[in-house]
Amino acid sequence: MNKTSMVEFKNVSKSFGPIQALKDITFNIQEGEFVFISGASGAGKTTILRLLIGQFKPTSGEIIIDGTPIHKMKKSAVPRLRQSIGTVYQDYRLLPERTIRENIEVALAVKSVPEKEWRERVDQVLNVVGLKDRANLFPAQISGGELQRASLARALVINPKLILADEPTGNLDWKNAESMLELFEKINKEGKTLIVTTHNQAILVKSKKRIIELEDGKIIHDQKSH
Amino acid sequence: MIKNHIKTSFQSIRRSPFQALAAVMVLSVTFFVATLIGVVLYGSSQILHEFETRPQVIAFIKKDVSGEKQNELKQKLEQDTRIRDIKLVTREEAVEIYKDATSDNPLLGELVSPAIFPASLEFSVEDLSFAQSVIDEIKSNDIVDSVSYTASLGGESELGAVLERLKNVTYYVRVASLAAVAVLAFTSLLVLMVVVGMRIQTRRGEIETLSLIGATKGFIRLPIMLEAINYAIMGTFVGWTLAITVVFYSTPSIISYFGNIEVLPSGAAALFQFLGMILLGELAVAVIIALTGSLIAISRAFK
Repeated sequence: MNKTSMVEFKNVSKSFGPIQALKDITFNIQEGEFVFISGASGAGKTTILRLLIGQFKPTSGEIIIDGTPIHKMKKSAVPRLRQSIGTVYQDYRLLPERTIRENIEVALAVKSVPEKEWRERVDQVLNVVGLKDRANLFPAQISGGELQRASLARALVINPKLILADEPTGNLDWKNAESMLELFEKINKEGKTLIVTTHNQAILVKSKKRIIELEDGKIIHDQKSH
Repeated sequence: MIKNHIKTSFQSIRRSPFQALAAVMVLSVTFFVATLIGVVLYGSSQILHEFETRPQVIAFIKKDVSGEKQNELKQKLEQDTRIRDIKLVTREEAVEIYKDATSDNPLLGELVSPAIFPASLEFSVEDLSFAQSVIDEIKSNDIVDSVSYTASLGGESELGAVLERLKNVTYYVRVASLAAVAVLAFTSLLVLMVVVGMRIQTRRGEIETLSLIGATKGFIRLPIMLEAINYAIMGTFVGWTLAITVVFYSTPSIISYFGNIEVLPSGAAALFQFLGMILLGELAVAVIIALTGSLIAISRAFK
């Protein structure tokens, strides 16, 4: 295995009963790479991300993250895997009864980071995403773009090598989507590996990053960065 | 970290106060009844103990018997393992007892002669089953004039029958009390299970999010279990406080009704120690109920 590989999919297939969501997928993502996975709804984009966080196991094939084969990982080891990956979701998945600061702190609590480090680390990521002045507001009190940035802050606070974002611009207008893209690029420049699923063609065109295009569970195009 | 879980559990209670109130109230009823039953069981065992251990038998000595012979009989009884707490009451002491008893009417005391009071031997038996045989044996002694019993309840003519009935009553009180507590405890368990189950359903989204960001089973389940423990502890304190209020309110009436039988521990310190022991026991049971109920609810919800 290449030492700089962050994510490797080797002949991965995933079936849900009679439906084959992924068909013999193979790709390799290097450490520090920024990759888009695109395709229409039902093409298998989200399935790839779910396989990467151990939400389910592949029907066949191998998945390796940072040298660790996760396709044969025990259920009890899944939380530790997830604690090492930053995740951003289209619907933000923030806890509505907690403030933005508390939402970000939850990720640190889950990872058993000592409490004395929380304030500094949360302030740092709030600065990165530009939400310092929104720290004490509740999710219902901020806009969609800000919610998505809060979600990204939660992903960043655990200082992961790999960040997965599932349709992060799906609920955003163009201005906010562009702002998110800029944030992703900024984070990528700091050495993080990013895998972002999207069907937003404008984002894909603007980013000029590697795009793995799926159709009906198969890779139909793997366009390297340009 | 546990501090955060405790905080989360309290936040959860604040979010749905009526569910919390329902759980606390049901547990309060359970522990209110349990505390009162604890007091009743203590009182009934004290009543039984009192009847079992008070001087039950009095053997009156014939008038012309010398003090030496009286002492001989006393020593003989002392060697009998079935008998305890033997006391020889001389004629003079009997007169004094009579005078004390009639102190509100001194004339009665002066009209009697010590000669009419016989000396007596008062004693208890180690076990009630020995009572009848001991009485029969002592009746046949030459220096004994007659034998009488100090306990007399209802229409029974024999001491054994009286105490046997008391034992039966106490036994049935205990069984009924424990059955009532068991039913209430089971009801509390079911209510806690339902409330915790509802809580899990309303927090389903939050639990899913926590799981997606890598929360372990323990991290997700601990606040839920702590919440159930909070209900249990609150319910125990409320129930216990209400019950001891009732106990304190009725203590004067209880003491005056039962006279010198200590149906409640005598002295404030002993009473608080007794009630404190009940509270500790109830807290232990409450935590067990909370843990069992929440674990069952969690295992059903996360199946």
